[in-house]
Amino acid sequence: MDRAALRTRLSEIVGPDGLLDDPDELLVYEYDASDEVFAGYHRPDFTVLPQTAEQVSAVVRLANEVGLPVIPRGAGTGLAGGALALRGGILIVLTRMNRILEVNERDGYAIVEPGVINLELSTALQPRGYFFAPDPASQRACTVGGNVGNNSGGPHCLKYGVTTNHILGLEVVLPDGERIWTGGPVPETPGVDLTGVLVGSEGTLGIVTKVMVRLTRLPEAVSVLLAAFPDIETASHATSAIIAAGILPAALEMMDHLTIKAVEDAFHAGYPREAGAVLLVELDGLQEIVADNTQRVAELCRQHSAWEVRVARTKEERDLLWLGRKSAFGAMGRLAPNYYLVDTTVPRTKLPATMRRVEELSREYRLPIANVFHAGDGNLHPLVLFDRHRPGEVERVLECTTEILRYCVDVGGTLSGEHGIGFEKRDYMTLVFTTEDLCAMAGLKRSFDPRELFNPEKVLPTGFRCGEVAVLRQQALAQRFGLEYV
Amino acid sequence: MTGTTRLAPDMALQRLGELGSRCDPLNYTVDGRQPRVAIRVASPEAVAEALAVCASGGLALVPWGGGGQMGLGNLPERYDVALDLRELKAVVDYEPDDLTIGVQAGCSLAYLATILSEHGQMLPLDTHDPERITIGGLVATGLGCPRRFGYGSLRDLIIGITVALPDGTLARGGGMVVKNVSGYDMMRLHFGALGSLGVIVRANFKLLPLPEAQETLLVTFRALEEAMNGALAVRGSQLAPTALALLAPGTAERFVGMARWTLAARCEGPDGAVRRQAERLRETAASLTSDAYVLEHEETLRFWSSLQGKLAATPLTDRIRVRIGEVPSRLGELAAQLVSVWDSVLEDLVLDVGSGLAFATLAGTVEELRAAWLDLVAYGRHATMLAAPHEVKVGYDVFGRHPEGVAIMQRLKETFDPERTLNPGRFIALL
Repeated sequence: MDRAALRTRLSEIVGPDGLLDDPDELLVYEYDASDEVFAGYHRPDFTVLPQTAEQVSAVVRLANEVGLPVIPRGAGTGLAGGALALRGGILIVLTRMNRILEVNERDGYAIVEPGVINLELSTALQPRGYFFAPDPASQRACTVGGNVGNNSGGPHCLKYGVTTNHILGLEVVLPDGERIWTGGPVPETPGVDLTGVLVGSEGTLGIVTKVMVRLTRLPEAVSVLLAAFPDIETASHATSAIIAAGILPAALEMMDHLTIKAVEDAFHAGYPREAGAVLLVELDGLQEIVADNTQRVAELCRQHSAWEVRVARTKEERDLLWLGRKSAFGAMGRLAPNYYLVDTTVPRTKLPATMRRVEELSREYRLPIANVFHAGDGNLHPLVLFDRHRPGEVERVLECTTEILRYCVDVGGTLSGEHGIGFEKRDYMTLVFTTEDLCAMAGLKRSFDPRELFNPEKVLPTGFRCGEVAVLRQQALAQRFGLEYV
Repeated sequence: MTGTTRLAPDMALQRLGELGSRCDPLNYTVDGRQPRVAIRVASPEAVAEALAVCASGGLALVPWGGGGQMGLGNLPERYDVALDLRELKAVVDYEPDDLTIGVQAGCSLAYLATILSEHGQMLPLDTHDPERITIGGLVATGLGCPRRFGYGSLRDLIIGITVALPDGTLARGGGMVVKNVSGYDMMRLHFGALGSLGVIVRANFKLLPLPEAQETLLVTFRALEEAMNGALAVRGSQLAPTALALLAPGTAERFVGMARWTLAARCEGPDGAVRRQAERLRETAASLTSDAYVLEHEETLRFWSSLQGKLAATPLTDRIRVRIGEVPSRLGELAAQLVSVWDSVLEDLVLDVGSGLAFATLAGTVEELRAAWLDLVAYGRHATMLAAPHEVKVGYDVFGRHPEGVAIMQRLKETFDPERTLNPGRFIALL
C-alpha cells in the first residue's frame, strides 16, 4: 500500500481532523519530555488522535496489515523516551479519549478513558470523598493511560503503592487488534494476571483504551511536617528512625541545599534557606493516630539534629509546604539552562552512602547536582545541571549519570524507580539483568507481540529481538544434554 | 517440532534422582493421582536442572510446597514428578531497616512470621496452617486474605521474583527495592499462575511495621440485609479497618458461638487508637437489633487465622469450596441467593466484604456437589472451585467461566513451557 492509500485508510478510521501527517504538524510528536540531546528526535509517519476504542483497534489492524510500527502516547510527559517513534510508524495519541465514564464509590472503582489527566481524576473524585492515589510530579499534565504504561509513582506511593496497586482492570487493544477486558472490580480474577503484566509495559504489549482504577478513601486527618537539617546525612538518619519506629508516612520527601535555594529563589515557598537538607513528611489516617504520630515524628527529627520543625495544620499551610517540593524541577531553570534527571532506587539504608557518591561524582565531573527525592522508599532523583552548548558537557553528563546508575545497581538498587526504561535506559538493562532474565522478558513480549510492531526499540536492550532469543534458548537446552539441535 | 530435544523418559527419571533426595510418592497425591517419583531439591539450580530434564524427557512435573493449597487446580493431565521445594527455605536477603525481605519459595509462613516479628515487622497474611503453607505456594495460587482491605494483598507487596524455567534457566524480575519499573513485571506474570509458566524459587516483598495492638469488633445481626447495610456503612467510612468479613449464622456459631449474621471488623494500630477505632466502628455498623463484642489482641489473631481455614484451597475429600467474586454492594444479594438455593448443602459462608469475595463450603454427595457447582459457576463476576473431591472436578474447569484474554494465556504457556512440563492441564482452560 502506498503512502497516499494508507493516508486515506487512516483518515477513514479517525476522520480527517484526527490525522496528522504534515511535517510541521508532526514536529511536536518527534519529541517527548526526554531531553532530545540524549534521545534525539524521531518523526512518526503518521499521528492519529482516535476518539474511540474501536478506532484504536482499527488503526492497529491496519498497521498490522501494512507492517508499520505503532507507538501509543498520552501527554508526552515521559522522561525516558518511551513515546518516541524510533522506527517511524503510526503514533496513536490518546488525549482525545478523556472521559470519566463511571464512578462507583460504593464498590470502590471508576472507569476512565486513558486520556484523562491524572489530577483531573483526583479533583473529580475529591468531592465524593475519594482520590486516585498515584500522584507523579507531572500530574497536572500526564494522563492515566500514561501512568498505566509507566507504572508511575509519586510522593504518596510510600504508603499507597504505585500505579499497579491501583489498577483493577484494563480494556486493551492487543497487537493483533483484538480488544479485551482484563481484571475487574473484584480481586483474584482466575487466569494469568494480564492486568498486572500490562501495567508498566510501556505500551509494548498493548494499548489501553479504558482503565478501571481503584478509588482510595480520603483520610480523615492529614498533617504535614517540614524539618530542617544540617545535612543530608542527618536527614537520612531521621528518615530511618521514623520508619524504624513503625510509622508509615503517606509521603517522606527530601530536598538538598541546592534545591532549597532554587525553590526559594523561584517560588518563595518559605523553606529555611540555611538548611543543608529538609524533610517533608505527610501523615494521614485516623485522627488520633495522625495526632500521635505527628508528635512522634517531630520528636524523632529533633533527636536527629533537626533545628527547626514546622507543622502545617490547615489545608492552606499544607499546600504551601508542598509547593516547594512540587515546583522543584521547574525551579532548576534558575540554576542552569539544562538538567538531566536520573531516576533510580536503592535500598533505603544505602541512601546516605549513595548521596555521598553522588556528591563525589558531582566534583569529579565538575557538574552541579541538585537532589530532590522520595527518601522514604529510596527513590533518588539527582538532577545533573549543565549547559548543552558548552563543548564536552553533554558527554560528561552521560558519563556521570552512567556512573550514578552503576553505583546504585552495585548497592542493590535498580535503573528506574518510576520513570521507566523506554528508549533511554534500555541498554543499561544488562547492568541489572542477566541474559536469562532478559530472555524471559523477551518471551513475554513475544507472546503478546510476535511481530514486534508495538512500540519497538523500547524496554529490552538492543540485541534482544524475540525471535532470535527463542532459537538461542532451544539451542542451549540441546547443548545441555549433549543432544543434537534439529 | 523444530528444535525439540528428547531424553528417554527412563534416563530422565534417573537423572532426576541424582538432583535431590527421593521421597515417598504416596505423600504427593494430587486429585487422587500419584507421581512416578517425588524428589526434594535443595538449590534453585537443582530446580532449574530438574525442569530441563523433565522438559527433555517429556515428563510432567508438579511443584510442591506444603501441599496446603493443593486443592486448587484442574485434574492433572499427566503427573510424573513431584518436586518438593521445602528444602529451599532460606531467608536470603533481609535488612530490617529497608523494610524488604527476599525468601526462598519453600519458607513456611510460621518461620517467616517469627523472623519478621523479631524486628517488629510483618507480611499481612493470615493462615490456619502456618507451619505447612509456604510463601511460594501463596504466590503461585495467588490466594489472599481479608486484610487485603487494609494492606493490599501479597500481589501488592511482591517486589521481586526468581523462577526456574523448563529450559533450565533461572530468570529474575523486579529486585529488592520498593519502587521499580525496570523491565517487565515478571512478579505479576507468575503471581497466581499456579506454577504453570515457571517454578517460583524465590520471592521478594516489601514489609509492614507490626501494629502495636489489634482488636476485632464483632457485630451480630438478626437479618442478612441489616448486616450487609452495616458492612457497607463501615466500608464507606473513613474508619479504615484492615479487614471486613461477614459470617453466615452457621459459620459464626462455629467461630464465635453466635448463630447470627456476624460482621467482623479488624482494627490494627497503636494501643489506644485501636480501642477508639473499634468504638467508632460499632457506632457506624450498629442497628436497632444488633449486638457488639470486641475480641482482644490474642483472640483477634486466633479468630482471623482460623477463619482463613474457610477461605483456603486445602484439599477436600467430601466437600467443595467455591470462591465467588462480586462487588461489595451486591454480595448481600449473592449470599441471599446462595442460602435460599443451596441451604441443604451449604456448610460455611464467609463474605470478604472488604475485597468483594464470597467463600462457600458445601458438603454433600458427589452428585449434589456437581449440581451445586454447575449452578454456582454462573454466580458473580467470577467463580472458582478452590477445592473439591476429584470425582466432582471431572469434566469441569475449576476456574469457572473464562475471562477474556485466554488466547494470550495460551501463547504465554506455549512460550514459557512449550513441552507442557509444568502442571499440565491444571491451570485455567486446562493449560
